[in-house]
Amino acid sequence: MNDVVLSLEGVSKRYVKLDEKAMLLRSLLPFARPARSELWALRDVDLVVRQGETVGLIGRNGAGKTTLLRLLAGVTRPSAGRVTVAGRIAPLISVGVGFHPEMSGRENVYVNGMLLGLSSKQISERLDDIVSFAELERFIDTPVKFYSSGMYMRLGFSVAISADPDVLLVDEVLAVGDLAFQLRCFDRMRQIQERGATILLVSHSMQAIRNLCPRAVVLREGRVEYDGEVSDAIGRHHELMSADVAAGAVRTAVDVEHAVVTGGARIVDRRLLSGGHVVHHATVDETLTFEARVTFDRSVDSPQLFFSVLRDDGRLAYSLFTEPEQRYQSYAAGDVADVRVRFNCRLGGGTYKLVLQVLTSDGRQMLEPDDAGLLFFVAPAPGSAGLTHLGAEITVDGQAVSDYGEFTLGRRQAP
Amino acid sequence: MASSAAPVLVLENEPERLRDWAGAMWHFRHLLAMLSRAQFHVRYKRASFGVAWAVGLPLIQAAVLTIVFEKLVRVSGGLHFGAYVLSGVLAWSYFSQTVAPGSTAIVEGSSLTDKVWFPRAILPATTVFANLPGLAVSMAFLVVALPVLGVPLGIRVLLLPLACALLIAFTLALVEVLAALHVYFRDVRFLVQAALVVWFYVTPIAYPKALLKGLATWIDVNPLTGIVALFHLATVGNEANWQRPLLFALAWTAVLVIAAVEAHRRRDRLFVDLL
Repeated sequence: MNDVVLSLEGVSKRYVKLDEKAMLLRSLLPFARPARSELWALRDVDLVVRQGETVGLIGRNGAGKTTLLRLLAGVTRPSAGRVTVAGRIAPLISVGVGFHPEMSGRENVYVNGMLLGLSSKQISERLDDIVSFAELERFIDTPVKFYSSGMYMRLGFSVAISADPDVLLVDEVLAVGDLAFQLRCFDRMRQIQERGATILLVSHSMQAIRNLCPRAVVLREGRVEYDGEVSDAIGRHHELMSADVAAGAVRTAVDVEHAVVTGGARIVDRRLLSGGHVVHHATVDETLTFEARVTFDRSVDSPQLFFSVLRDDGRLAYSLFTEPEQRYQSYAAGDVADVRVRFNCRLGGGTYKLVLQVLTSDGRQMLEPDDAGLLFFVAPAPGSAGLTHLGAEITVDGQAVSDYGEFTLGRRQAP
Repeated sequence: MASSAAPVLVLENEPERLRDWAGAMWHFRHLLAMLSRAQFHVRYKRASFGVAWAVGLPLIQAAVLTIVFEKLVRVSGGLHFGAYVLSGVLAWSYFSQTVAPGSTAIVEGSSLTDKVWFPRAILPATTVFANLPGLAVSMAFLVVALPVLGVPLGIRVLLLPLACALLIAFTLALVEVLAALHVYFRDVRFLVQAALVVWFYVTPIAYPKALLKGLATWIDVNPLTGIVALFHLATVGNEANWQRPLLFALAWTAVLVIAAVEAHRRRDRLFVDLL
């Protein structure tokens, strides 16, 4: 039996952006063609996914991940090539798809279920499961406009997985909701996996990709850059990211809210060093040095520095502010300052962004936010996962059992 | 799982086949029913008089028009003018209340459409169906009101369902075409609003067609003339020259149905790219 569930053959997708304002006029005038600009979201993509596979899709924003999911969901059609989907597909794309704010949670479950192709009888049978998985028993008759985004998401996820899909398309939703719910989502996705369903997962969280997907596809500018084993794919992704950062192609945002940006400084050279070599990957406990060369375009007295480490989901992992009272040096326009930050990499495995912000002594940012980040990747210690590296050890009856150097499980002795 | 019975979707850069498109419409008919019901409920949810407003508004409009045109302009021409106006206004009211929101339905429904697929034609159709209970209540009210307005009920009232069917078919086809156009030309929303203002007065609703004398020939081309003529036939009866406008109405409906099906069949999965 042919067990190919999803296949893309030479698929390209072109979006045409039309000059909206002038459209009616221009199409009525005989010789004026509507002004248009083209964007190729996907270019000549070949992809085959077999039944039971779980495949991660990774790539920067705008790489074509969402377009790919949309094609598979049948929402749009390719500009060239052929998309084939065998089986019932449940897209789980972003929060609260198709929820009607005025309607109750229960009514929305019906609408949503039908959007996913369930009959009302099937929905009635599953309603209790859906509601209890979403933990919304008490609010199911409340209009969803009163729901929090977490409640929206839980209900949406709950309906989508209850649809018994042959193919589940997941786009970043797991980033929402509290941790307990996220864990249950992972559990449920594993059940769906075990049942033999096919899952396509888009996420910026490499942790999630690594946990769920043995195989990953790296997209870049609409083309398949890599397709294969997940660790290699993530590695390739990080290489591309680093290269793009080096080329100044990645726009990164600093999370200093309401910051007043005045400009006046530029980072001209920025790198991460370990043992004197430039690195993009690090291991836990490694001593790393972040170096940046700042050029001032105007004079400034005692600039402050703000060093931060952001996780790939945008959360702050660590930050350090220089002492604001400490006066140390004035710079004139054209001066260059070498900044060096030495730190111990006690981070959990994952992707991080190192951000250096330069501020005037009264706290106004001198770097444009776009100009502030450097990405790097931390390989987790064997057997460990999580936000930080605590260097924990486990012993049982005095015997170390968490040492992956020579991993043996302690023999349990009678008390 | 992906057994041989599982549906297979094949997408290429080609229009949908008529069979596939029609099959999808049929497959999603329950969704249409569900969305229509939802829209109906949401509309009247917190209004104490609920769906009675579907009659209340046109009733007020009909009363005003009757007074203005009968007492001030003196156009009645030996008709039961109140019944004449009321039957036309109730039909018009369904039409205008549906066309305005229906023609923007695909764009407004973009939050539903950019993640999951169902035939986009469902969205404008939702408005058409959500307003059906209102139309039904209007018609029931009309039948009760006729004797009050001095028109004895006759066998011709049985024409009302036929008149409604044509009204619904024409409205549905028009709304589908407009909603598809609106995706490409956002001016459509305003053109529709403007057109409705004019359309009301070029349709013999508030005045008898005989009043127009020579212009009546042109008014016959207006599809609503024929549809409203059916409503007049079913209520006040003595409508002259209803055959010609009715033929025009049928022809318009047929043309619009074909245009609607072709537009959706060819463009359905491309709408989302422009939302």
